[in-house]
Amino acid sequence: MSNLYGDYNQKIDYVFKVVLIGDSAVGKTQLLARFSRNQFNVDSKATIGVEFQTKTLIIDNKTVKAQIWDTAGQESGSMYDGSIWWGLGYRAVTSAYYRGAVGAMLVYDMTKRQSFDHMSRWLEELRGHADTNIVIMLIGNKCDLGTLRAVPTEDAQEFAQRENLFFMETSALESTNVETAFLTILTEIYRLISKKTLTANDEADPGGSSGLLKGTRIIVPNQDMNDKKGGCCG
Amino acid sequence: GIHPSIRGEVWEFLLGCYDPKSTFEERDEIRQRRRAQYAEWKEECRQLFPLVGSGRFITAPVITDDGRPIQDPLVLLENNPENGVIVPPQDIGAASINNNAPKVTDKKVIQWMLTLHQIGLDVIRTDRTLVFYENKENLSKLWDILAVYARRDIDVGYGQGMSDLCSPMIILLNDEADSFWCFERLMRRLRGNFRCTDNTVGVEAQLNNLALITQVIDPKLHQHIEHIGGGDYLFAFRMLMVQFRREFSFCDSLYLWEMMWALEYDPNLFWLYEESEETSPEEAKARLKSIRHYGKYERENMRNGAKNAEEPPLPISIFLVASVLKEKSATLLQQARGLDDVVKILNDTNGNLDAKKACMAALKLHKKYLKKVAEHESNFATSSVLLLHCMCLSIFILNPNPVQPNLSR
Repeated sequence: MSNLYGDYNQKIDYVFKVVLIGDSAVGKTQLLARFSRNQFNVDSKATIGVEFQTKTLIIDNKTVKAQIWDTAGQESGSMYDGSIWWGLGYRAVTSAYYRGAVGAMLVYDMTKRQSFDHMSRWLEELRGHADTNIVIMLIGNKCDLGTLRAVPTEDAQEFAQRENLFFMETSALESTNVETAFLTILTEIYRLISKKTLTANDEADPGGSSGLLKGTRIIVPNQDMNDKKGGCCG
Repeated sequence: GIHPSIRGEVWEFLLGCYDPKSTFEERDEIRQRRRAQYAEWKEECRQLFPLVGSGRFITAPVITDDGRPIQDPLVLLENNPENGVIVPPQDIGAASINNNAPKVTDKKVIQWMLTLHQIGLDVIRTDRTLVFYENKENLSKLWDILAVYARRDIDVGYGQGMSDLCSPMIILLNDEADSFWCFERLMRRLRGNFRCTDNTVGVEAQLNNLALITQVIDPKLHQHIEHIGGGDYLFAFRMLMVQFRREFSFCDSLYLWEMMWALEYDPNLFWLYEESEETSPEEAKARLKSIRHYGKYERENMRNGAKNAEEPPLPISIFLVASVLKEKSATLLQQARGLDDVVKILNDTNGNLDAKKACMAALKLHKKYLKKVAEHESNFATSSVLLLHCMCLSIFILNPNPVQPNLSR
């Protein structure tokens, strides 16, 4: 159990399903490729349907398998009657996509204002379909393109604060903050879930989660904004 | 496979652009007519949105959901397609809603304009490793065709994956209009997959069929897939949507496509597409080709057609997926503990998939499936008939007749 990434026969303590959502071409697939395989594909293609990647890691001495779901970002389409719908590219996959997700990453491209403006719609769809306790993180990707920035950090921070989200700016290309972002969300999920278990078990070792809190405090840029977690993170 | 020099022309036949019995002159006349038609449609689109046909295209929205034009959309400039979209910095933030410009009120036009940037985003990511697309003209050809198609086929519009389907047509056929029509014919087969309603997308029906087939062919595997939460077979979504383009290399997928179309070939395709319902049954009957003109897969379906004529035959692509699943059955049963494992195991296959072998396996499975269904339906000795068919069809050859049209004058 001392290695960071588990092998095939390893006992898995937790499987966390995390979904990636956001407009087309904001870099969802690249973030996932960077996190799961430390790759960046210069010839990356549009995602069709649903793709997954997994990565097994150790959090607080527990083996956690992160199952990350990635999907097409096409925002709108048409229906038989010619009306316009909005949401996950292919509506049908929507419920399967969100089912059982304990974490979600809302990704926008910080060089494209509209992809940020759409975050509230993605959030709405997410909250409409996912579990109420889902941990959500807002990701401003492509921070390597600093000169083209169209979304000020403060705007995103304010939005995250208002909506009770974690927030981080990343670059899948330069590998900035990608691992940190995923670790943050996974650690938070773990913390919530183990807390639930703790409550269920009445008394248990609080040291585990306090160790985690340290991690949370370091890597979340604005942890105090989150009321839900305020008692632990503040 | 088909020799690359005539591939485009053969595809036009396989997809039903032309009647296999037509003469060169007849085809040329149709071709000219279709080119004019395409030019007309393209001009209509250009009037709605001037970038159509301009050699440029967009990757950022040009309209709001309620029809207000967005000023100065981020337009992909001519010079640097290979470096990705280089957006001039002065454009950033300039994209603002233009309140003075007239609002677009036609819902269908709004809907079309809302897809234009999505097409652009996908066009620049389609087959980008091919030298062919280093030429910016070819990128805009792809964008133009998809834009015109989206405008014509309003129920479908544009759906992600269509750029993957259209790209080979542009590479194989020089004329943009010819490429459009070839793509249009391909979409006749596949558009059902892309059609969305309130809560379903067309391909779901095919995924259900895949589930049914697997249930019949390999019940244990189906049970296992269901058990690990994959009962919707969403992991096969992409294979069906873009017809294995992502599972095979570019060249292999073209080979696979033409093999599937040859197996599914119906010599009446041209007439089926071309004609309105008014054609008298006598006329249609007069054109009926002998069964040997049909593709092998289609012949098998015809033999079984009497039984379930009310349902359209299943496309061979489903049996292709089913045969891949079947081949990996043991591994899937043993090692797949989650959907991610299923995808991983299937991806391992993908690199080593041989198009011809895959088609043969699909044919075999198709036959087996029909047999099992028949057995299920009646315990009669239909199997002897099927056995005969098996013997007749045991050699895998594409029927040469339909794919060797009269190319000379």
